[in-house]
Amino acid sequence: MSKEHKSSSQSRREFLKKVGAGTAVAAGTALLPETALSQTEERKVQYGMLIDTRRCIGCHGCSVACKAEFDVPLGFTRSWVEYVEKGDFPNVSRNFLPRLCNHCTHPPCVDVCPTGATFKREEDGIVVVDPDVCIGCKYCIQACPYDARFINPETGSADKCDFCFHRVSQGSPPACVETCIGRARIFGDLNDPNSEISRLIATNPVSVLRSEQGTEPNVYYIAADHSDEHQAREGQHIRVTTHRKQLERR
Amino acid sequence: MELNWGMPVILYLFLGGLGAGAMTMSAFTFLRSGGGGFGPNYFAEARYGALLAPLPVMIGCGMLIFELGSFHAGYWFKWINLYMTINLSPMSIGTWLLTLFIAISLAYAFTFLKRDASPDDSFEPMRKILAWMALPVGISVAIYTGVLLGAMPARPFWNSPVLPLVFLFSSLSTGVALILLARSLFGNSAVAESDHAQSSYLLSSTDTVLIGFELLALFLFLLFAQLTVGDVGHAASVILFGGTSIQMYGMNLAATFWFWVILVGLLIPLAIELRYVVPRLLHQREFALPRVAEFMVPVAILIGGFVLRYVVVIAGQVTGPIGI
Repeated sequence: MSKEHKSSSQSRREFLKKVGAGTAVAAGTALLPETALSQTEERKVQYGMLIDTRRCIGCHGCSVACKAEFDVPLGFTRSWVEYVEKGDFPNVSRNFLPRLCNHCTHPPCVDVCPTGATFKREEDGIVVVDPDVCIGCKYCIQACPYDARFINPETGSADKCDFCFHRVSQGSPPACVETCIGRARIFGDLNDPNSEISRLIATNPVSVLRSEQGTEPNVYYIAADHSDEHQAREGQHIRVTTHRKQLERR
Repeated sequence: MELNWGMPVILYLFLGGLGAGAMTMSAFTFLRSGGGGFGPNYFAEARYGALLAPLPVMIGCGMLIFELGSFHAGYWFKWINLYMTINLSPMSIGTWLLTLFIAISLAYAFTFLKRDASPDDSFEPMRKILAWMALPVGISVAIYTGVLLGAMPARPFWNSPVLPLVFLFSSLSTGVALILLARSLFGNSAVAESDHAQSSYLLSSTDTVLIGFELLALFLFLLFAQLTVGDVGHAASVILFGGTSIQMYGMNLAATFWFWVILVGLLIPLAIELRYVVPRLLHQREFALPRVAEFMVPVAILIGGFVLRYVVVIAGQVTGPIGI
């Protein structure tokens, strides 16, 4: 980051004009394109995902691709799609909220892991679990505000979305991104201001889940419906279908 | 609602706190060496606590292994990985702390093991050193169980700085109860009645103070949770009001909490102990706690201590952040 701050304020201003927004991502990575290229070697990568829920049709293609990619045991999900139904006839809506591990900038699961089995990769910011080290104490499951983790009954270790880092490191997009027919999922490097994901985040109103938890997620949403069953009040019906074993959001 | 941490963890939190409390109170009584009016009987009380302390902690830690995902998947000794590293996770610190506790408590118990153990035997210097080590380690283990639960913002019910204090006072109180119970069951009838009454009085009055502090800590815990708008207030309501707990848990957790923890575990023992402690304290009358009460009060305190762990562990897991 210090290198980026050294770039002249003039170039910063020009850059901000170019992307047309002063979002945190743009400001934090304000570099001229040629400078960015010359520093690619040193710059850290932070992979992230942007989910445009306007393009999601709730087909569960991502969930199925994920299941196939990792052979996730029956009854468990690394990636899932929630349906949010609300309102009373005739004023009703149904929205889809695809969910996965948020690969937080401050992952609470890493803070509580007693064995060091779960960690945030230095090179690309992906939060992973080493199943050979993890003892399955479930502390991380308790600590995750997104309920993204589960105990894999075959390995006995904590398991969750790992952004398909075996594919990503070979240059392919994650399985869920590749399969999405609506192209609702955009995957890329959030630290690269010229990546498609950075440009879209800079030019659209985006949100993250449970930002009040201070985890600073790296999975962003466009037009996400943040309604929750807890907020249902007299005369307003809200129903969330999680499509997973955990019938309720936690 | 699926619970990730079930009965083994609840039992561990109870038994770990019980053992930690018993060792702390034993070392405390022993180091006073009959000072503060404990009289010649202090050594017998310290001995009960010392001999009983390691067992519940070891059983509790064993329980934890049964809860591990790796154990369920057939990797029976994978928990050894806990000893391959040390980091700032409360569980990692707790693992090392419990190991230290078990080592010290076994050594401490060993110095009391002989039937004719006395303050004059050759173990005495070693016993003193171990007692000085037992105090900080015992208190740390008692507090640690609360820190373990409290370290996660994603669990609003647990994420309170008062919770470790609730667990500390509960641990010490159940520790005293264990010593009282052991004394009423295995007590030496040869001990003079006045000595027996005197040490009963000291243990009961200590327990009274601890119950008072536990009530205070629980009150602050619930008060601040209830006054917090949002996640924490919502989470606390699951043990405060029956309706919320039925809606969120399908069982009346609030009734369990109010009846077994507050009434049976705290208020009734407090009332009985006050009934006998106050006349002795204020009017120097004879302390005459009936033998039945000497058995029933510790049992009630132990039940309260267990149900407290049960309610807290369940309530923390059925509640979460509001909204997405």
